[in-house]
Amino acid sequence: MKRPVAIAGVGQTTYPRRHERMNSAELVREAVMRALADADVGLDAIGLVVGGVAPDALAGLNHIDLPSIVRPGIAYLRINTGGATGSSALLAGLTWICAGRCDAALVVTLERMGHAGTAQKVFNSIFDPIYEKDISLSTISMVAMRATMLMQQHGYTQEHWAGLAARNSRSAQLNDTLHHPRLFTPAQVLASPVLSWPIHALEGCPMSEGACVVVLMSDRVVGRRRVAWIQGAAALSDTYAMGDRMHRPEGSLVDLYTLSRSAQKAYAQAGIGEPRSQIDCVEIQAPFASSEAMAYTALRLCDAAEGVRFTEGLIDGTERICVNPSGGPQFANPVSATALIRIAECALQVRGTAGRRQRPDVRRAVATGQGGATQFSTCVVLGAERP
Amino acid sequence: MKEVPMNADLVTIPATWDFQYRYFAGETASRFFNALRHEGRIYGTRCSQCRRVLVPARSFCDACFVPTGDWIQAGPDGTLEIFTIVGTRFPGLPDPPFAIGYVTLDGADTAILNRIEGVDLSDLDRAGSRLMQRPRVTAKFAPQREGRITDFVFVPLAS
Repeated sequence: MKRPVAIAGVGQTTYPRRHERMNSAELVREAVMRALADADVGLDAIGLVVGGVAPDALAGLNHIDLPSIVRPGIAYLRINTGGATGSSALLAGLTWICAGRCDAALVVTLERMGHAGTAQKVFNSIFDPIYEKDISLSTISMVAMRATMLMQQHGYTQEHWAGLAARNSRSAQLNDTLHHPRLFTPAQVLASPVLSWPIHALEGCPMSEGACVVVLMSDRVVGRRRVAWIQGAAALSDTYAMGDRMHRPEGSLVDLYTLSRSAQKAYAQAGIGEPRSQIDCVEIQAPFASSEAMAYTALRLCDAAEGVRFTEGLIDGTERICVNPSGGPQFANPVSATALIRIAECALQVRGTAGRRQRPDVRRAVATGQGGATQFSTCVVLGAERP
Repeated sequence: MKEVPMNADLVTIPATWDFQYRYFAGETASRFFNALRHEGRIYGTRCSQCRRVLVPARSFCDACFVPTGDWIQAGPDGTLEIFTIVGTRFPGLPDPPFAIGYVTLDGADTAILNRIEGVDLSDLDRAGSRLMQRPRVTAKFAPQREGRITDFVFVPLAS
């Protein structure tokens, strides 16, 4: 990266099922004001707002830019890459600053899915209307099908998904952006209703909405602020049809080829040769336990053959790397914001400002973003050291 | 203004998006759908560069970004690669339980999505364990067809 850029401030609303006390613009404003205060900067210093808002139909708002514009008179871009919207928006802001167009930018993401009465019907509409949409595919069944492939090829069982979900539920208890996160055991997960076999209700993310905002600053204006430096960032798209990725030589549907290549690029920028020892914390944009496990290998935290062992190490608490200290998207997955929340949570950990959910000695953290049927993958490396 | 408390009843405004659309399938998908309807056959197209047979038929290979050439008949038998059994009712989607999955038809290099029928779904774990074995399946065509992907489903082949 030509110019070092850092995350200087983070602002989040809470992420309940419904925010009935605030309209969309009020949600954005709350997160913006918190982020500006956290960065100790005023709106006048901001040269760009990147609005990250995913499917309009989920919010039922066709003017969703209106709330995310923040304040008239500032350059504005909109980004939509589904579940990767938040991290793609961050990359857009980063690129704008690296190009020398401004020194401080706001990345603003807003999810309003609490408005939706038929969310899975909206999610069905993200699939190809010619060949696939009529088969009643939804984002949940899409994830469930990959889970069966992981179980066939890598030896995972439903107990692993339940163990990870229960582990994340314990971490979520410390996250003050969540309203009364559920706390449960693996047995309770397995006893919960089947959403889409092999996925149980307690493994999945709840409906959640809210706004997450990040302040980006170039090294010229960071000053003495406590920041998280962006040491590496990469994004790649993938082919649309899942059936086309079943047998391709680069890797099967569960190998997450484009996440793995994004990580490779971001790690190279950050000088990470040994991810297992050089990364302290990861926030994985995985709305289900199986999608979290699918990312471990792509992030080179373990080999494909070691995936089950690595998972068991996380479940029994013997693994050094901290995975999803926020509890992860299984406890709040506001679609447009979720990939930025992963980055924001990593920034809080690296800056040492994560409050009750702070983990010790986080020098370097990695956040992922995944959108659509993993059409979009991003990987961002944050660190305490200036690049 | 008279004093109105901020915790007064919160207003919720009901709304429905009811827009009409028609999706243009294009010439290639139309030929695929016409073969389903009139011949009861499933066709793919071969990429002129990577030589993969793409099923369902596409006019170009999205990995190589070059036009496809020959039309190749695939199946009707194939292997169920991955699947799920939807077990919960979601507003706007069909009633559960129902199974869907991706099948690699014989002669194809990609997998095609459709409903899986003819499997006892009364015990989800038992049905799931059975489908995890990557069973052989065959395309079963509806007697009355309308030229849509829903003209056929997959059913297990007798083992």
